[in-house]
Amino acid sequence: MTTGYHPLVKRLLDGELSLAELPPELRAEGEEALRLVGAADRAPVALSPALEERVMAAVRHAASSHTASLGNRAWRWLNTPRDVELRLRVRPWTVWAGALAAAAALALLLGRPAPQPVPGTQARGGMRDSVLVRFVLYAPGARRVALAGTFNQWDRAAAPLVPAGRSGVWTTTLALPVGQHQYAFVVDGARWVADPGAPAVDDGFGRRNSVVAVTAQGAHL
Amino acid sequence: MRTIGLVLTLVLGSTLTGALSAQDVQAQLDGRVSPEVRRAVRSIAADAAAHGLPVDPLVQKAIEGAAKGVPGDRVIAAVRALAGRLGQAMAAVRDAGVAAPAGDVVEGGADALSAGFSGHQVSDLVRVSRPPYDPALTLRVAATLSALGVPTTQALQLVEGMIGAGRSPSDVLGLPGQVQTGVARGATPAQAAAGLARAAGGAPPGRLPDWVPPGQRKPRNQHKP
Repeated sequence: MTTGYHPLVKRLLDGELSLAELPPELRAEGEEALRLVGAADRAPVALSPALEERVMAAVRHAASSHTASLGNRAWRWLNTPRDVELRLRVRPWTVWAGALAAAAALALLLGRPAPQPVPGTQARGGMRDSVLVRFVLYAPGARRVALAGTFNQWDRAAAPLVPAGRSGVWTTTLALPVGQHQYAFVVDGARWVADPGAPAVDDGFGRRNSVVAVTAQGAHL
Repeated sequence: MRTIGLVLTLVLGSTLTGALSAQDVQAQLDGRVSPEVRRAVRSIAADAAAHGLPVDPLVQKAIEGAAKGVPGDRVIAAVRALAGRLGQAMAAVRDAGVAAPAGDVVEGGADALSAGFSGHQVSDLVRVSRPPYDPALTLRVAATLSALGVPTTQALQLVEGMIGAGRSPSDVLGLPGQVQTGVARGATPAQAAAGLARAAGGAPPGRLPDWVPPGQRKPRNQHKP
């Protein structure tokens, strides 16, 4: 049996509501949720003091290799406009053969299989339009929980959730592109569970997929 | 002679592209679905591509079915049904005056048809979804509202009302979440949608339908004793 937080409590966790705005009967649940989430990875990230120096050294090195004088001269030679008179005497069939070869090469280039997405962050569209979305599932007793959906080609291994202590709460945060996405939680690698706090649609196989709408302002479950 | 040559070039080019797109389907399905499903989906996808339909949703549906452990024959049936809906959606979107619709718009139309909308309703929604509104998103939002229990006519009116009131695309995208919030507070999906429709012109973006400006009292609910 899997249950989740009340949608208003989830909005509290997303920072859309304050504890005072919750109905009185939900405040205890809200406080408990805040306590659990507060216990999960909020530790500040400490960066090495030498990091900035190393980064700047790498930038300077890249800039100096870019401005090599030999490269500059070659580029100027290639880029300088010149008058060239070209006379061609060809048979028509050679033109057609060339056009066909170019069309075939273009088709080969465009038809190459797309690169496989990187697990955990993959999405249709670039990261530039992505929004961080936190997913939470209350699944006490689960050994592992993952998130699969249209954003990661339903890969059960791509986006594992992490448990928040022994509370039974599992969470993960993914960068999703703006738009609407379908997903489900996979509990213990086999049980597909719709998000109890999100709208769901028929998946065509007699089950339900949850729906998340991602906007530039955040996610709407 | 020159025209015949040009036509031959185009035919050869499109044939090559079609063959490669079939290879692409094969590459995406390899190792993810059974050989039986792969063969069937390749055939369905080739037929869909020949009719100008997007192939990616078919491949994704097959991958989803296999990932969920659905038996092969049911995966094939679901992919075939989706191809049929994509064809209907394509016709509906073209009826709205879009001669060459993008794949995601056709996919959104198929979602809406699957949720119970008619082809005419899909055409109507595409017709009003002019920039900055993306018809692919408005169709999906309408489909999700219907899945939440909002009657299709009302869902259509709500989305079209938001567009007519000039609310932002993000507001439209957030409608399902707002309906769900209303339901969590005890309203039926239809009541929640009606409240949002009434508020479409009033509340600022991102606010709940019962929002009132600071310092003002909420109007008395006449349905409460």
